[in-house]
Amino acid sequence: MKLQCLGKQLFNSSANLPRIQLSSPMEAHLWYIIPSEVQSQSLLNQYAEILSPCEKEIVFEMRDEELRKRALLARALVRTTIARYQINSHVSPRSLKFIKNVHGKPEVDWQHCEQWRPLPLHFNISHTSSLIACGVTVDSPIGIDVEKKNRRLKHNVMSFAQRYFSKHEVQVLSAISDPQLQLQEFIKLWTLKEAYVKALGRGFSDAPFKTFTIRIRSATKGSFAGNSNFEASEIVVDSFDDSMDLTSDWKFVLMDLAGSHYAAICTKKDSSIQGIQITPTKLTVWKTIPFVHDECVSGTAAVVIISG
Amino acid sequence: MAARNALLKYLRVNVHPVQPFLQNPRTVIGGSISNFLRHRCFSEEVRGSFLDKSEVTDRVVTVVKNFQKVDPSKVSPSAHFHNDLGLDSLDTVEIVMALEEEFGFEIPDNEADKISSINLAVDFIASHPQAK
Repeated sequence: MKLQCLGKQLFNSSANLPRIQLSSPMEAHLWYIIPSEVQSQSLLNQYAEILSPCEKEIVFEMRDEELRKRALLARALVRTTIARYQINSHVSPRSLKFIKNVHGKPEVDWQHCEQWRPLPLHFNISHTSSLIACGVTVDSPIGIDVEKKNRRLKHNVMSFAQRYFSKHEVQVLSAISDPQLQLQEFIKLWTLKEAYVKALGRGFSDAPFKTFTIRIRSATKGSFAGNSNFEASEIVVDSFDDSMDLTSDWKFVLMDLAGSHYAAICTKKDSSIQGIQITPTKLTVWKTIPFVHDECVSGTAAVVIISG
Repeated sequence: MAARNALLKYLRVNVHPVQPFLQNPRTVIGGSISNFLRHRCFSEEVRGSFLDKSEVTDRVVTVVKNFQKVDPSKVSPSAHFHNDLGLDSLDTVEIVMALEEEFGFEIPDNEADKISSINLAVDFIASHPQAK
């Protein structure tokens, strides 16, 4: 009710996007939107205004109203999120241009910015029917994936895992006797694998799920923020394919998001940091309705870090 | 009677014994016929290995309609898994797995993510002789 009232006020689009700072490659930011919380038609119209003609065409070609709304929100989320970080220049969400890399991964086309020096942001988006998320980093590729915690699989979990996951992962899953728990671990593993492939940016075809293993291993953190050594779990990826990027370069965060979803974020480690010391990603999470309301939810029940 | 004879004369085809092609290269007609027969048999064998496209379409549409998340009324031969049916990457992999079960052959992982619509699934399956 309150959100609908707020939505009816027409804000100037650039003025109502509070600027955010993101300076370190060790940091990752996650912004998410809950589609069912956006009901105002005037707000949806505002979002449509910031899309490119091409994006508008794709969105409005969709015949299903709910799918159309989700596609619209996804584009609006990406554009508004990236615009927030352009602190030193006045950038409107509408002015951003996007291109696809050689493998089809969408990226911001920074070349089109002549008047200003943009912050070299990387982004990645993931959507489910009830949550759309956009992750951003600076100077590091990023891949994210979100899945509903209670999603059902058409196939038997172990049949699916045997077909698509690595031997080690199959072993780990088959050791779980409770079917509900097994399904949950499967979903977590899926989000991690998806996030990794999306961070690589080369497409599923180039990094088939069977060719790498993701494991959660316990490790000791070095002194971080003044604390001495304590147990933590680290998510690591091993690849069977030599031609792939050095797998020790990638780090992961896995979380329970908004109580309803698992979310995985994969970023590249800062190459200037040597040694086996684990330097975790500093993650900040916002729940947003662009132009209306932003809420930092890190440290609340909405974000429960599972690992990483 | 005369007309009948004339017609028969007109219709009569000279038949030569079918000779092995190499032994008698001058019997062009015989050679051609045997080649033609050989060729026709071969293409029938080849044609028999590929499934008929409209049959493949029907079967693919059925598999997709049976997918619980899918609204059957939205499934048409041109439906795009993500844009029209609202399916995500995990759903798409499940559909690929269901198609493997339906058609009895493995779809390589490096081809799987190109199958993003019913049309693409049909094209892929119809062009693979291993599909049953």
